[in-house]
Amino acid sequence: MTDFIQLLVAGISIGSIYAMTAIGFVLLWQTSNTINFAQGEFVVLPAFAMVLFLTVFRWPFAAALLATVLVSTLLLGFLVKEVLVARLLEAGVLPLVIATIGLSLLIRYSLQYFWTPLALPFPPVFSRVPIRLGTIVLSWEELMNVLLVGIVIGALQLFITRTKLGWAMQAVAQNRTLATVLGIDVSRLVTLTFVLNAALAAVAAILIAPVYLVKYDIGIGLGLKAFYAAIIGGFNQIRGALLGGLLVGVVETLAAAYLSSQFRDAFALVILIAVLLLKPEGIWGVKEEWSS
Amino acid sequence: MPLLEIRDLTKHFFHFSALSTVSLGVEPGELLGIIGPNGSGKTTLFNCVTGVLRPSGGQVRFKGEDITGLSADAVYRRGIARTFQLIQIFPEMTVLENMLMAAQERKGTLLGRLLRREEAEETDRATGLLEYLGIASVKEDRASNLSYGQQKLLDFGMALMPEPEVILLDEPLAGVNPTMINNLVGHILALNAQGYTFVIIEHNMEVVMSLCRRIVVLSQGERIAEGTPAEVADNPLVLDAYFGR
Repeated sequence: MTDFIQLLVAGISIGSIYAMTAIGFVLLWQTSNTINFAQGEFVVLPAFAMVLFLTVFRWPFAAALLATVLVSTLLLGFLVKEVLVARLLEAGVLPLVIATIGLSLLIRYSLQYFWTPLALPFPPVFSRVPIRLGTIVLSWEELMNVLLVGIVIGALQLFITRTKLGWAMQAVAQNRTLATVLGIDVSRLVTLTFVLNAALAAVAAILIAPVYLVKYDIGIGLGLKAFYAAIIGGFNQIRGALLGGLLVGVVETLAAAYLSSQFRDAFALVILIAVLLLKPEGIWGVKEEWSS
Repeated sequence: MPLLEIRDLTKHFFHFSALSTVSLGVEPGELLGIIGPNGSGKTTLFNCVTGVLRPSGGQVRFKGEDITGLSADAVYRRGIARTFQLIQIFPEMTVLENMLMAAQERKGTLLGRLLRREEAEETDRATGLLEYLGIASVKEDRASNLSYGQQKLLDFGMALMPEPEVILLDEPLAGVNPTMINNLVGHILALNAQGYTFVIIEHNMEVVMSLCRRIVVLSQGERIAEGTPAEVADNPLVLDAYFGR
């Protein structure tokens, strides 16, 4: 039982990072019909930026974090939207999807070629002293990951449901044509969504870097897991992405411990296939009538 | 000076000409009807005026300002609201939220939008309009759960919400039962008497002939006639367009 609880907390911890990355997929899909296959690299790039600020520039943690979020929102939010998305959005989903695959390759192999192909150590964000609750041993890292992701997602939810800008985002997601003729500047909202997604990715980067180390190719696995999570939970629901992320994290952690660690990455795929067969819109997803 | 002036408006889709040098003016307080067979360019005209489509040529002027090619949100903020042939609502929002959504982007600062200011004033106006339209009892219901007729009224109410100077109604009576037709026509006439300016595309000839004092007829993207209902009804070009004599 002790092992199970420890594994469960570890699964929720990694799942919460998947969830945060998956929420980015949902946000971008809802406001701009973009499936961003560079989502994993959107997490990797800020992780490298954080390493640069912390270990090369030797900035204090808070300053490095702030600079990382700033760089991420400018490069991966504003710049990507203006240079790539704004030009391809009119052409439909497929050209944009292909462009994001290209972007992921560009980021990944630029980091490998111009920086390093090796894994870079990342200083621990939280204390490494374990927490003991009777026989159960938990790490600060795991608990703080869950807490921080909870706070960030809670704040995002408040933004979306309690502010007029968030409300406008919901309107664009539900009926883009009507939102446009009701005076909502959809282009500006898409920019805002990309900036939000980049900020979420930066936070995910800080949390996942101590677990996986910082390497140019960790975005492949992370991006795919988050993509599966978004589909499993429901690609058009933030709460669905949250559920999907947690589910993938918990199932793969428990299955790796109790079934086979070699097939750790396959378990997310098993859930994905099951959901696609039984409830294609995702567990909490809503069926959409869509044409383009 | 007309409130809304359309000069030689043209719209091509590749080699197909959906609108060919259409001109018309809408006077303040007018209730103008636009009729024509299917495919005559009526909705394309609305789309070009409201910024949904960019015209290939010509000019749209609103209160003397050239608004040709402006984005839909910019046109809306200048005071032109519209409805669509097919009902357009935010299905997962409540009726009241739909109404508030129609008001929120017309005015307000970024800070105001972040803090949701002006909401009390907007809620009062939305509730008042819903009461006027007779659907206040369902204001907390999800919009997708409303009947077709109620959704039509909501769609109409959303167009009224920002206090527009011109309202373009695209087939507001399509698919609506006779009781609801009388209801909607009554609202349009009452609001027009209060000073609202309407341009209405409608296929229900009986209604459009009794509702509008002036009618413009389009056929194959061209303006073929304009006049009072009686003049239009007797115009051989109009009869030819409809019945192919």
